[in-house]
Amino acid sequence: MNLSWDGEENIPAAKATVWTFINDPAKIAGCLPDVESTAITGSSSFDAVVRVSLGPVRGKFKFKVSLAPQADRNRMDLKVSGGGLGSVVDLAAGADLAPAGENATTLKWHGDASIRGPAATVGGRVLDAQAHRVIGTTFENVKKALSV
Amino acid sequence: MTASIGVAMKRKEDPRFIRGRGRYLDDIVLPNMLYLALVHSPYPHARIKSIDKSKALALPGVKAVITGEDLDAAKLEWLPTFHGYDKQMVLAFGKALYQYQEVAGVVATSREIAEDGVELVEVEYEPLDPVVNPFQSKEDKIILRDDRESKTNHIYHWEVGDKEKTAAALDSSAVRIKERILSPRCHPAPLEPCGIVADMNKATGRLTVYMTSQAPHVHRTAFSLVTGIPEDKIHFISPDVGGGFGNKVPVYPGYVVATVASVIIGVPVKWVETRTENLTTTGFARDYHMDVEIGATNDGRVTALKVSTTADHGAFDAAADPRKYPAGLFGIVTGSYDFPTAFAEVDAYFTNKAPGGIAYRCSFRVTEASYAIERSMDILARKLDMDPAELRRRNFVAKDKFPYSSPLGFVYDSGDYEATLRKALDKIGYDSLRKEQAEKRKRGELMGIGISTFTEVVGAGPGKHFDILGIKMFDSAEIRIHPTGSGIVRAGTRHQGQGHETTYAQIVGEELGLDPQELLVEEGDTDTAPYGLGTYASRSTPVAGAALAMAARRIREKAKKIAAHLMEVSEADVEWSDYKFNVKGIPGKSVTMKDVAFAAYTNPPPATEPGLEATYYYDPPNMTFPNGAYVAVVDVDRDTGHVQVRRFLAVDDCGVVVNPMIVEGQIHGGLTEGFAMAFMQQIVYDDAGNHLNTNFTDYLVPTALETPHWETDRTVTPSPHHPIGAKGVGESPNVGSPQAFVNAVMDALAPLGVTHLDMPLTREKVWRAIREAEAKT
Repeated sequence: MNLSWDGEENIPAAKATVWTFINDPAKIAGCLPDVESTAITGSSSFDAVVRVSLGPVRGKFKFKVSLAPQADRNRMDLKVSGGGLGSVVDLAAGADLAPAGENATTLKWHGDASIRGPAATVGGRVLDAQAHRVIGTTFENVKKALSV
Repeated sequence: MTASIGVAMKRKEDPRFIRGRGRYLDDIVLPNMLYLALVHSPYPHARIKSIDKSKALALPGVKAVITGEDLDAAKLEWLPTFHGYDKQMVLAFGKALYQYQEVAGVVATSREIAEDGVELVEVEYEPLDPVVNPFQSKEDKIILRDDRESKTNHIYHWEVGDKEKTAAALDSSAVRIKERILSPRCHPAPLEPCGIVADMNKATGRLTVYMTSQAPHVHRTAFSLVTGIPEDKIHFISPDVGGGFGNKVPVYPGYVVATVASVIIGVPVKWVETRTENLTTTGFARDYHMDVEIGATNDGRVTALKVSTTADHGAFDAAADPRKYPAGLFGIVTGSYDFPTAFAEVDAYFTNKAPGGIAYRCSFRVTEASYAIERSMDILARKLDMDPAELRRRNFVAKDKFPYSSPLGFVYDSGDYEATLRKALDKIGYDSLRKEQAEKRKRGELMGIGISTFTEVVGAGPGKHFDILGIKMFDSAEIRIHPTGSGIVRAGTRHQGQGHETTYAQIVGEELGLDPQELLVEEGDTDTAPYGLGTYASRSTPVAGAALAMAARRIREKAKKIAAHLMEVSEADVEWSDYKFNVKGIPGKSVTMKDVAFAAYTNPPPATEPGLEATYYYDPPNMTFPNGAYVAVVDVDRDTGHVQVRRFLAVDDCGVVVNPMIVEGQIHGGLTEGFAMAFMQQIVYDDAGNHLNTNFTDYLVPTALETPHWETDRTVTPSPHHPIGAKGVGESPNVGSPQAFVNAVMDALAPLGVTHLDMPLTREKVWRAIREAEAKT
């Protein structure tokens, strides 16, 4: 099952602040919901164990996350791969940053996910709703972290 | 004694089933038993780069982790498929070829630990683009099987009939129809999934295998051939089996891995699959895309039939068809109709889907064939603007034409199609239903009547045509009568709920004048039962039932000698009638089989071998051709697409009926499966090769709430070549019913101009068809 999402978020912080924040795997990892544990594996990568509940598919999924910043293009690419309980999730996402005034940044993002195994059978609507919840919560957490 | 055949005797096996005292595979628990759980591929097509067992092996309780590499080292990685055209991987080796394919096995002290161990096996995959349908496969852009010399996904081309004559006849026909008809990928989904307990006793060197098997003898031979363990050192026991429907004929990776683990470790190893494993990895059925063409005259006489099929076989050609018949008995596609000429061809392809193509409650591709012809006859009737019952009548093989040689090579044994259809139409009140329909149509209401007048072919052998692994498709019986006149009856088949313990006792009881209640029927133990090919393809009563009757007649021959001795008359003066031995011309002078049985052990005639037992291996001279006329009446809700099956009548002709209650039960079960296929069931893969029906919330099985009320009746034209005239019935309702439902729905949608929709006719599909049709007007 392949799913795609697009969106635009306004972060109440200067572009340089946002850029520094999203380049830090520890900070990004801290914003993900339902995370049981994380391990920073490099300057731009981390592993996360996440509690997943997709209909009958419930349990821990392990993900490897890697960041690929492109400072010259004001763009951050992100790859997430992993899964659990026989399911596999691969996500490729990208965000373009643009200043929106002095203390605000606009983040235009896009994500493509491929889901295989039992998680794919719960249906697009369930997956989509879950994905929106995860994305929404993550951005809320980013905003919270930066607005302090 | 009175008659046993034809009596609606209660099933002897039911008290233990009803009271929960059956003994199924999962009830078997042996000392020191270990449990196997399997790692499955999440990818439909991927290279396996590495498998790391270390974390799983470190888990306390895990005893072994087995991979394809381990099996390859033991030369057990590849198994022959039953018909011998292909081989299949036990565990994904090099590449995974379908989603959920077995990749590794974890053996542990409990099922739970084994499942936890599965989570700890780390497999690194390199995903490859999948091939998800046979039409994509045909392009050969992605070659799936590295192991084959042939670098194409095409598996075989098979054809039967006269191609040129059929093409010419179609070209010169006044009326022609052509339609692509899909018999969708579905799954037998037996209530009990598959399982095994393999128990290698290193002290005796003997391997005991408890397995959910429809064919324990064939499985024993297959295990011996593949493992090299001598056949006498393998003991197969197929315990009570909770439904098979063809799903328990193939050999699955879990069986092999559990056996290998037991042989290596020397303790029993159990594997019982989950529902998801059953639906995603074990033998699916059908997936035939059939292009059907019929030619006819303006007055509705068929002139020719051509069927070109594209078959999706999944990753391996594991269809359990007889060796010479890669497309099974698809040649039955001319059905009940007297086609002057016909041609059928099947091209099969590999895809990244689970292997199978098993005979789900049918004799090898008969359901597909029957669906194709019955659906097409309705499409032709529509084109001719002729009543579908009338079109069928005009084209039936006439009663006086039997034995009838079909243009695709079968010799039909017997039938009276006209009488069977007449009985069905009279009973359902066809004419008044058509009147009601005409009135409803005026009001815009959607009511439909669907007919299926199918002929199927069951009871394989004969051995000269059919074999599995080279073994001729005979079957066998052994009867041993005890001194007090009760006895034990054994057969080479293995029932999965069909009621053999009763039906077989009735056949033997009838032949010997003994009480079926005192005849114990035993099957499924290869140490005691005579060698047989098993229970599938409606072959139990046609083949093993015949063997039982013949073995009983052998007993009767010997019993006659003993009877003559007891009555002190010449054997020539003794005759068997009224279920006892009588002296010709002397009324009242008789002995019963019970008297004879006692004498066989206590007072045998001089120079006569004591005892009373016989064995018979029956190789049928021909197959049998059960048939029927089914009528479905449906009301379709225009707003929601809901189809209400108002009535369903099945008139079956399965020859002589041994136990009418059991036959009726078989028909109810098969109709319920046919209903499920018509309206609910399809194994769906998405474009990325994901299997989307992995459990019973997504792959639906009808409950009592959805299941319509079934009406049944029968006609009887005995099979002339079967010792008791029986034809077999297990499959008829499954083979004959889907098209009756679909024809009924298409008839209901006729005013909207809808010609054909593929099964399953879900509410959504029907609703969309109605909306699209309305949008056009």
